[in-house]
Amino acid sequence: MLQGALAGLAAGGLYAVLAVCLTLMSRLVRVVNFAQSATGMFGCYVAVWLSVDVGLPTWAATVVGIVLGCGLSALLGWIISTWLAEADIGTRSAVTVAVLLLLISLSFILFGNKPQPFHPILDGPAFEVNGVVVSQVTVVTVVLSVVVALGCRALLSGTSFGLQLRALSERPTTAELMGIPAKPLAVGVWAATGLLSTLVISIVAPSQSNDATSLSMLVVPAAAAALLGGFRRLDLAVVGGLVLGMAQGALAQVDSLSVVRYFLPFLVVVGLLLWSQRKEVWDVAR
Amino acid sequence: MSRAETGPLTRFGGPLVVAGAAIVVGYLFSVGLDGYFVYLGMSAIVAGIALLGLGVVTGSAGMVSLCQLTFAAVGAWVVSYLNRAGAPGGFLVYLVCGGIAAGLVGVLVGLPALRLRGINLAVVTLGLAAAADLTLVQIQFPGTVDGVSVERPEAFSDDRGYFWLGTMVLTACCLLVHFLRRTRWGSGWQAVAFSERGTAAAGASVRTSKLSAFAVSAALGGVAGGLLTGQVGLAFPASFTAMQSLALYVLAIMSGAHLIDMAVFGAVLWVAVPELLKRWGIPQDWGFVVFGLLGTHALTTGGNLGTAVRELWRRRSKEAAGINLGAPPSDVEIPEPGEPVLVVRDLSVSFGEVKALSHVDITVPSNGVLGVIGPNGAGKSTLVDILSGFLPQATGSVELDGLALNGMSPTRRARAGLRRTFQQDRVPAGLTVGAYVRFVARRRLSTAEIADALEFFGCPAPKTPLRRVDVGARRLVEVVGHLLAKPKVLLLDEPAAGLPHEEHVALGLRLRQVPARFGVSVLLIEHDLDLVRSVCDTITVLDFGQVLASGPQAEVLANPEVLKAYMGETELL
Repeated sequence: MLQGALAGLAAGGLYAVLAVCLTLMSRLVRVVNFAQSATGMFGCYVAVWLSVDVGLPTWAATVVGIVLGCGLSALLGWIISTWLAEADIGTRSAVTVAVLLLLISLSFILFGNKPQPFHPILDGPAFEVNGVVVSQVTVVTVVLSVVVALGCRALLSGTSFGLQLRALSERPTTAELMGIPAKPLAVGVWAATGLLSTLVISIVAPSQSNDATSLSMLVVPAAAAALLGGFRRLDLAVVGGLVLGMAQGALAQVDSLSVVRYFLPFLVVVGLLLWSQRKEVWDVAR
Repeated sequence: MSRAETGPLTRFGGPLVVAGAAIVVGYLFSVGLDGYFVYLGMSAIVAGIALLGLGVVTGSAGMVSLCQLTFAAVGAWVVSYLNRAGAPGGFLVYLVCGGIAAGLVGVLVGLPALRLRGINLAVVTLGLAAAADLTLVQIQFPGTVDGVSVERPEAFSDDRGYFWLGTMVLTACCLLVHFLRRTRWGSGWQAVAFSERGTAAAGASVRTSKLSAFAVSAALGGVAGGLLTGQVGLAFPASFTAMQSLALYVLAIMSGAHLIDMAVFGAVLWVAVPELLKRWGIPQDWGFVVFGLLGTHALTTGGNLGTAVRELWRRRSKEAAGINLGAPPSDVEIPEPGEPVLVVRDLSVSFGEVKALSHVDITVPSNGVLGVIGPNGAGKSTLVDILSGFLPQATGSVELDGLALNGMSPTRRARAGLRRTFQQDRVPAGLTVGAYVRFVARRRLSTAEIADALEFFGCPAPKTPLRRVDVGARRLVEVVGHLLAKPKVLLLDEPAAGLPHEEHVALGLRLRQVPARFGVSVLLIEHDLDLVRSVCDTITVLDFGQVLASGPQAEVLANPEVLKAYMGETELL
């Protein structure tokens, strides 16, 4: 069990980073971005293509892929903040469902629907606990998720830039009237989360089931993790991601429970939502 | 158009004639078309049934469902299982069982939907679709491993025959959705999509509305999955991926699948777009890219193909319909107010430190109109919220005609005879005036009864779609619906807001006659003192959550305390 849980920790770190991205998006630009991991997947696939078919060195291809993921996300952010500036979170998020579909099918067209031959960026064990090997990937993703969450928190609560971002999220119109550049800031948030998710997916994808659909559907466990923090708290999003990854890893060890593992994120989502929404009886305040 | 607005012949006849014609056309297609097109057509039929389901849950009831093909997989699984087990009844019985099983799963998935809205529900359904996707690959469908293929009914065993059978199933599903949309369930779907509070205030159960939408949609998904299994013989997980569920959702949004003809149109696109791409030498995967782009476009612009095509087709007038409170109503004898029918004692509620209401006593007499006035923030709307059951944390007692309402849900209070209207627009734009009034009234109404009541309040005709009715008139349509429900007491929360000022007194004249004409007592909250004066026998004044004065109109309005608090002493009463 412990071995499984530690093996699941790499995925947990991935969920945690994506959950932090989802939380930031939901808080700052009023979107639950269903295309969050699909954007990262697409950037990584382009990187693999550049490295395998074009012959770019792995690091260079990875950098190009990350920049592309960042750019794609920024473009989507620009579209949404241009045409759906006043729309509710539901409509804004529904657009990302269409984009999720778009990116998966584009990747099928461009790269086929087989898993890609990823070159691991990080390889090998980092250290051992009781004879259980912890890989470098695990260490880096877990550290990354914690660092990103702490960094974002410091940025949001401690700097005037963070204050502007929060003002923008809570009172977009008022913030704009006060001269805060709403659209560039929003697009910036999209770009940053696009960059982060592509980065973390390029680190973890070589060691995961890495076909386009699986990578894009990472948004489900990430959303489950983000829900633990109610799409507001970064620390709980990280905890949620790590715990979910470990639980899935542990369940994978038991053959009879392996189907349960697939449903775990779904069950976590339902459970957390039912609990957190227990007082939300009506759809609008009055 | 709903029941009795037109005769039974057009009510049932029209759709049945269309259905008959569809089946004939299906037969002609099945014998006349090239074999390949018959096969494509069958795929369109399967997609059409799934889209009809999405039209109900997403289009009408406004809930995001991203797992339609998971329900289809349930249908396919049941059909495959019954087929392999050699269960009695044959394919058509299996198909119905598959639909029912999927409907039950839909209820299970819909249960969380009672609490979850919008984007949360999208996360849940996408999670289910992704999990089911992985699970299906692992467990496979019954019969696929040992190669026991699903047997079609004998009469429809070849592809052409099966296509014709598919046409009939699709037609039956369309009819089912058509008639369901005209029932209370159907109106409930539209209502709950627009406002849960409005739905509950009309005495309809929000829970039933949401669950029935989910169940019907899932059952249709199940039938689609079952039909698909018969088409290909063996069900494979590849037909039910999360990806395809997403594509169907996007297609439903894009085509406007809440309209039955547009669901069928969407289904045609579902097969035509990849097919055309193939003929032009473009890989079929681009089909989903096209759907993704068109879906993004539809969502960002707020339009869809369905409504666009319909506008072209019908060239409906786009003018807004308003109210017409011209001539004063004929006189009726105003009855004397009788015994108290609504008795409210010691009502208090606080929001944190703020005491919104404290120790409020109110009595509404039968056949009477009680006015409740007070400055902004006095607690008037809070009072209506408490009485109608939307603030269960309030303390105190509410009795309606001897029945204690404490602890009852808004829906039950509405059914017990305490109705309310809202200050904000809570009227679903998807219905016609007549269908909405019937939905709110919750009882059998004759066409004449509806027309009379609407005319009395100067509202647009029953056949007018509510999306064409302006906000002021919508609020009067809401009042008419609740009056026709014949409650014991109707709480009106600023009914004149949204009307031009000159209409206020005209409305007052009519409200004055409400107890005599409809047998309903009224508690009227209003800012316009002219209106209050013309309507109310007795008045209660609220100030900072407390009753400042209460009694006959003249007495209360002459009270110096009231003058001071409410009018700021300067304005003359």
